[in-house]
Amino acid sequence: MDMQEKLGILSGAARYDASCASSGCGREAPLRGTGNTSQGGICHSWSDDGRCISLLKILLSNDCRYDCAYCVNRSSNPVPRASFTAREIVDLTMEFYRRNYIEGLFLSSAVMKGPDQTMEEMVRVAEILRNEELFGGYIHLKVIPGSSPELVRRAGLAADRVSVNIELPSSESLHRLAPQKRKESILEPMKLIGGEIGTSLVERRSSRKAPRFAPAGQSTQMIIGASPETDLQILRLSQGLYKRMNLKRVYYSAFVPVNEDNRLPVLASPPLLREHRLYQADWLLRFYGFTAEEILSEQMPDLDESFDPKTAWALRHPEFFPVEVNRADYGTLLRVPGIGVTSAKRIVAARRFSLLTHEGMKKIGVVMKRAKYFITCSGRPFEKPDREPLQLRQRLLLGDGSDPVPAPRQLVLFS
Amino acid sequence: MNRYLYDGTPEGLVSAIAGILDNGTDPQVSLLVERQDTLFEEGLFFRTDPVAAESLFSRLRQKAPDAVHTLWYFMMAETEGQETSLLRYVALALQHGDRINGHLTDADVKAIVSTARKAGRELHRMKGLLRFEQLRDGTWLARMEPDHNVIHPLARHFSRRLKGQQWFIYDVRRRSAAHWDGQALSFGTLEQFSRPELSDEELEVRAMWQAFFRTIAIPERKNPRLQKSNMPAKYWKYLTEKQGE
Repeated sequence: MDMQEKLGILSGAARYDASCASSGCGREAPLRGTGNTSQGGICHSWSDDGRCISLLKILLSNDCRYDCAYCVNRSSNPVPRASFTAREIVDLTMEFYRRNYIEGLFLSSAVMKGPDQTMEEMVRVAEILRNEELFGGYIHLKVIPGSSPELVRRAGLAADRVSVNIELPSSESLHRLAPQKRKESILEPMKLIGGEIGTSLVERRSSRKAPRFAPAGQSTQMIIGASPETDLQILRLSQGLYKRMNLKRVYYSAFVPVNEDNRLPVLASPPLLREHRLYQADWLLRFYGFTAEEILSEQMPDLDESFDPKTAWALRHPEFFPVEVNRADYGTLLRVPGIGVTSAKRIVAARRFSLLTHEGMKKIGVVMKRAKYFITCSGRPFEKPDREPLQLRQRLLLGDGSDPVPAPRQLVLFS
Repeated sequence: MNRYLYDGTPEGLVSAIAGILDNGTDPQVSLLVERQDTLFEEGLFFRTDPVAAESLFSRLRQKAPDAVHTLWYFMMAETEGQETSLLRYVALALQHGDRINGHLTDADVKAIVSTARKAGRELHRMKGLLRFEQLRDGTWLARMEPDHNVIHPLARHFSRRLKGQQWFIYDVRRRSAAHWDGQALSFGTLEQFSRPELSDEELEVRAMWQAFFRTIAIPERKNPRLQKSNMPAKYWKYLTEKQGE
């Protein structure tokens, strides 16, 4: 099989991994080496599905011994199989990097002979890149559940980011759809990685020469819509992962039915809007000071399709509004629908010079479409202070009747 | 209104701003424009004065380092007609320090900050979208046609990243080039340019990248609008993965 054919198979099989981030770690190129990393990350292209490409995202092999219901590479599927050698991936990474096609490598794999044998081969790719090619670019390694702690440690020392996929939002679903993977074999390496990252940070405080362990942190991914969990269950899980496991990112991947299997739901198309809403809610957890329980409740366990989760929260909490933009603190501003991190910062910076008026808000670039129903400027509301919840819902939905209801947008993956 | 003129160069612009501020004139009642070649143009002309420009820069660096950054990006934009705004922006920056960039309700500050922001955005974009091709002699060439004059900071970025290879970056629109010889950066302009022949290996790697680009997209999620809004078509001309589309 020639390289191009292999690349087609093994990148096609890797495309369902959502993460492509190359951010979170700034590093100069090694002496006589090639490549550095940028704290903010750099996108190098955008593929036909609109997602950014920053890493060479490929599988080492798609020759899997496991038979997970949702996965295109499961052993019972009659798909063409291929595997790279470590050297082939190293060369490809270097050639692409020298041409500025990529920020680095994202390497995952099907489980070949077993977790350890697969992980060992993946770690070897990263170690050759670092030690022989003196490669200083970004490396993201997927950790195969069930691989030995020693291999997980080597992965973290060679890579910028490591991730163990949690795959499904509950252990029952995992058991049903991925019977060969156990919850413990996923959570144990996660804990180990979290611990090593913490230790490395502490050691580096006393010595700059202490080794860095996954300096860009740990992430994970789960499939949305292949199993019956509610959005509340999913957000609670993410919240726990952020708080207790110190994860940098949780990725959500709308279930794309690639197999026929009676354990799987039949969907006309991937649940992209749900995925988008989950990312919005995830942002609220990480940057806006919300808790999962504020966003959803047992009575209302799923995210609203018509409203973004912050607007939905605001509609349930009329007592919180209106917010006075000239006095409210940063955290309160962040709770206003339509005001994001950038706008809130701009408001705080601009009002040090003069009181903000309606025009002033527009001038500094705050999008007023939703915010105008929830704020006052020096006591003056934008809209008549008529906050009949039902009517407000209607106006938000129709956008004042002046612009059509926006079609469900596919999410934009931030890096 | 006091009317002031400068010679149209970036150095001249900074010199004139330094001169006006040293005069003690109120920038709010001053206009600064590029001198045209007419005989009887009204206004006081400031000639380029490197010493005055440098002293303004060092004052600004001390009082408002962020504003120096903004000024730097603003210059990359090569816009015309914003000189007066720049004059007022610099005066305000010296007065208020770094927080001036948050004073976006002021029309002049907003004009300068948004121009600078656009240039910064394109610089960041080009760090990702620039493509190097390997030539027959083993050196590397990247061509581009950015809206803003980003070649200096862009070349510095690649001098840290691809420091082991010898490369050229060529701005086709401005005919300017950057060269890294493995040790040092140099800049210049090229009167004539024709792309040298590519190495054999180049064509193979290029085909691999194109294959990767095709297969990495999820067919069920095809979204050309999102692709275009993230990666405007004006950049496709030199993108390896977009050749032949």
